[in-house]
Amino acid sequence: MINFVQYSFFYLILALPLTLSYRTTKVINFAHANFVTYGAYIAVFLHGIRGSNSMALAAALAFLIVGGIAVLNNIAVFTPLQRRGSSPAILMISSMGLWIAYKYVLYMLTDVAHFFTSKNFVSYGRITYSDVPRMSMAGFDFSQAFVAGMISSALVLVALYLTLEKTKVGRAMRAVADNPTLAGISGIPRGLIINLTWFICGGIVAVGGVIWTSFSGAITPEAGDSMILQIFTVGFIGGLVSLFRTSVGAVLIAGIENIGIAFLNAYFSVPISFKPFLTFATLITTLILFPPLGAGGGLPYRFLRRGARQ
Amino acid sequence: MIGFDVVGFLVSWLTLFGIYSILSISLNVESGVAGITNFGKVVFYGIGAYMSAAITTYLILILNGVDVDKTPPYNVNGVILLGQLGNKDPLLNLGLLVLSLILAFVIAGLVGYLLTYPILRVGPAFVGFTLLSSGELLRIFLLHYEPVGASKGLMAIPTPFGWMPDSRARDIAYLGLVLGFLALTYVITNKLVNSPLGRTLKAVRDDEIAALCLGKHVPRIKATILFTGSGFTGVAGVLLAYYLTSVNPNMFVPAVTFNAWAMIILGGFGNLRGSLLGAAVITFVDRVLTFVTPYLGVTVISPDYLRWVIVGLLIVVVLLVNPKGLLPERPIKTPATKEVWKELQGEASEQRS
Repeated sequence: MINFVQYSFFYLILALPLTLSYRTTKVINFAHANFVTYGAYIAVFLHGIRGSNSMALAAALAFLIVGGIAVLNNIAVFTPLQRRGSSPAILMISSMGLWIAYKYVLYMLTDVAHFFTSKNFVSYGRITYSDVPRMSMAGFDFSQAFVAGMISSALVLVALYLTLEKTKVGRAMRAVADNPTLAGISGIPRGLIINLTWFICGGIVAVGGVIWTSFSGAITPEAGDSMILQIFTVGFIGGLVSLFRTSVGAVLIAGIENIGIAFLNAYFSVPISFKPFLTFATLITTLILFPPLGAGGGLPYRFLRRGARQ
Repeated sequence: MIGFDVVGFLVSWLTLFGIYSILSISLNVESGVAGITNFGKVVFYGIGAYMSAAITTYLILILNGVDVDKTPPYNVNGVILLGQLGNKDPLLNLGLLVLSLILAFVIAGLVGYLLTYPILRVGPAFVGFTLLSSGELLRIFLLHYEPVGASKGLMAIPTPFGWMPDSRARDIAYLGLVLGFLALTYVITNKLVNSPLGRTLKAVRDDEIAALCLGKHVPRIKATILFTGSGFTGVAGVLLAYYLTSVNPNMFVPAVTFNAWAMIILGGFGNLRGSLLGAAVITFVDRVLTFVTPYLGVTVISPDYLRWVIVGLLIVVVLLVNPKGLLPERPIKTPATKEVWKELQGEASEQRS
């Protein structure tokens, strides 16, 4: 049950930026997985090399660095491709290329770090932070990851809501999401807004990665990849458009996964590591029953079922 | 470079080239020609490889009268027995090859066909992602499925030419087999791309709605092409399993798919010869790195990582600099265009005279 709430926090932090970045920039970003892993490894390197024990410091640094990486991706790869009028599929493939490159660059970094400190960075143990309290309430012990996840997902939700609804920047972001051309004509600096969106998205995801280091028992350069199925499924439930539906999806997937596998494990002794199968089943069901049309180029004609036309 | 084995290098390179070319050609038909963003190549590859590995090891043990309940092929005794019994009967080995090729084609194709159902109605992002995650699921499943050896995988798979006494002859015979299948794949896909179906596929890729309005049954076409492509990928998987004589779940990571993607992007979307070229270049780099690595000694950074960074950056850079690849797509030659071309040339020569 604790796991369910814990994972809800993770999926919220990790999947909301995916939806936000897709709807504003129209890029399906598979390098999203890297943002998680890089966030986690910034914390790991801080802990392993500098001996820092502060989650706040790690989170701030991760936000800046990964946000910067996201902006760099956009400036170097996505914007030139979009300017040439490449199809969404091409953009997606280029983000795939980035994904592999970043992943193995990280492996190289762990090799280099291992060379200097002779610690094992490819599978790093859980980090205990000094600046996050442990709480216990009504007989439950809440871990550091739980507290941090709760605080940051609440922060993210409130901040995103306030930014998008109340500020000028947020309105500009929504305008770019709805109709980029019109937004550009109305005098909104489109490139700047898109870069800003990437920065925010990358940053939030990286913070999620930092929190992951206080939860997972073994942090590997595959950490983000192993979560990408869940993150994208959550995003797809929201149709990659609606932030509200994405949040609902996060809670839903966390529930299906954790409660479902606990049930299957107890009654049918299905191994816990088969968790992704439940998510995959949800993904397929979502695609068949509620195909997210419009987003990502689905064909609108499929709205019509036989006999539904009157 | 003392003792550098040129023939050995060529044989291993060409064999890998053959296997990867089948992969990249079928991917090119699916993605470059038909526009299905297939990020799940590795599913069908893995199914093919595991299919042949399981069939061969189990059937050889059973046909030799070994009780597979007691000595399954994945434990130590099974591996030893396979080594003793595996290469006795040429006819049996070749028969198993044919059987696993057929089964791999059909089953990989069917899985591809079934996977098209949920993804027919959604856009490329969802298609790509669903296939990608099914690859990961296959890996997780194989990691925990005991009859195919779980995380250890299956080892000592008897090869079709294992009965040949000379190892070099064995390798060359196998190379012939792989190249034969490559030729077969190339001829079939080439016919397919240049057929009316191929032109429909390009129409679907370029504008799905227009193709639909012209009365083309887009979902059915996509399903057909994914069946064929996946079948060929299954065959490539079979060839890989017999070449390496072992399979384990961690061979079938999504990176394999991206390797094939890098090949078709480098070679050129929609151009089958481009896929051959891309496969040749990338497998060559791969082989050279593998041959050179032992001479480098211990390095700070593993060359394997460098290789993947190169693959990733290659995709991005080629898309940025030269999105058409080394060999751009060419117009399809139909009987009608040939006629028109002749007419045009005839007119030009008349005007000149």
